[in-house]
Amino acid sequence: MPPRLRASHLSASVSYISVRPQSIAQPARTARDFSQSSCRLVTQRRRKFYEWLNGPGRPLKQPIPGSTNYLGAYDKYGNLVRAGSVPEKTSDKDKEAEAKAKAKAKAGITEGQQTADEATAEGQESLEKLDEALRQQAKEEQAEKKKKTDEQQLSPETMEDLRPFPLNKFFRSQPVLSEELREAIYQFVVKEGKPVPLASITFGVSNERIGAVVRLKQMEKQWIAQGKTLAMPYSKAVLEMLPTTPYIDTSLPKNAGKRPIVHEPINDLIVHPATRQQLFVPVAESRQFTRVDAGKAFDNNLLPADERIPHPELVKVVRDEVTGYSKEERRALAEQRYLEAMEKKKKAEEAKKREELETKRTVPQRRWDFVFRDVSVEHAGRNGRDPRGVGWRYGLPHQDRKKGQVKIPTKVEA
Amino acid sequence: MVLRIRLARFGKKHAPFYNIVVAHARTARNSRPLEVLGTYDPIPKPPPPGTNARPWKDIKLDVSRARYWVGVGAQPSDTAWRLLSMVGILEPRFRVGQIQGKVVKAETAAKSLIPEEAEVAQ
Repeated sequence: MPPRLRASHLSASVSYISVRPQSIAQPARTARDFSQSSCRLVTQRRRKFYEWLNGPGRPLKQPIPGSTNYLGAYDKYGNLVRAGSVPEKTSDKDKEAEAKAKAKAKAGITEGQQTADEATAEGQESLEKLDEALRQQAKEEQAEKKKKTDEQQLSPETMEDLRPFPLNKFFRSQPVLSEELREAIYQFVVKEGKPVPLASITFGVSNERIGAVVRLKQMEKQWIAQGKTLAMPYSKAVLEMLPTTPYIDTSLPKNAGKRPIVHEPINDLIVHPATRQQLFVPVAESRQFTRVDAGKAFDNNLLPADERIPHPELVKVVRDEVTGYSKEERRALAEQRYLEAMEKKKKAEEAKKREELETKRTVPQRRWDFVFRDVSVEHAGRNGRDPRGVGWRYGLPHQDRKKGQVKIPTKVEA
Repeated sequence: MVLRIRLARFGKKHAPFYNIVVAHARTARNSRPLEVLGTYDPIPKPPPPGTNARPWKDIKLDVSRARYWVGVGAQPSDTAWRLLSMVGILEPRFRVGQIQGKVVKAETAAKSLIPEEAEVAQ
């Protein structure tokens, strides 16, 4: 049996090991294996980054309430440019006052609107400018209110302040729909049952966005009804830091004679793939070559631009105006056109329903209904390849692996 | 040669889809038939969300043409017989009629119950 180790022996050996060098000394590395930049450069950059975080970048950490939080609004020393190069710290009470003032300003717009109404006929371009002016006015008013409440309050953002990427001078952060505007759109379309194009014209939001708002609002309400938790703090925080389009409730007496702010151009012509080529069409001088003909020149089935835009009815309104109808007459004409269109749509729907009733036959069975639709074998045509024919085709390869086949669902049943 | 009204399986793996065809009995299942009378999609479709409707199966059929082919002596396969008897072209076999009657009875019974519940609720 070997002699037991004494405690003194053990401690001595341990101290001996601790004194001995643990690893072989290596020369200082100049760069890491995976990186081209030298270690010194990396360290330098990291230090600079932390310097920026603790210096100029510090105010970005705490966003100013009711304002965007973009790099473009600060100079390189971390001072808010629009605050007059002096960074200011507002107390909690001041912040509350500021938020309230902002909310008040968002609810209304100044009287300069009257001139705006007269200038509407000049088209989309002028409208955009107008809305820009309106937004500016709203901001100015807001600024005035703030000055009244507190001399040291912040002025509203200018276009330069809405640049998230300082190196990209041409990128401006675009406004998003405010929560009130989204709710108003939902109420307008779902509760009042107005058509989507009308909502688009009324709120100055594109047809597609109206559809998206209605769908998302519907889902939101459904989730609330189901008791699901929504990410409200998140949406609130994001919306506070983005420029938003406010909702102007024209039914309120204080907003009488005002017009909702246009969110985006709603009547832009969508580029049809058939029109992407350049065409030179020789036409006789004596011949009238209209937009209808231009559409046909590109593709026989292509509608003219006047009918492909999202709101052809607006063109008709302007045409009436040019013809010299009075305001009441124009209104009556527009209403008549709308009613006619609705009548036509209703008739088509009824006809479709009637046809379905005639051809559809439901046979209830144990687990599911068997729905029989009457078709005609004649539709397949002589060679059996007519697209109206029913059934899987014979002698034709299936096209589902072909390029450009859309397989994602294009509509949702809700 | 014997004419048959039968199903021809198309579609993909685990996603069957049938053409209801009139064909000579001895030809291959998926060969070109005399006539495509319609289609039968055996995968039940869910009812529209938010309604109390039942799931359903989609069948397209040229009823008059099917009646003609039965009239000139085409012999339906069992499955085809079941489908054709549902629209009243043939006498029901395979319990189609019994089940249909039961379902209709159950549905009318359920409907007659609903107003009472509504009254109770009020």
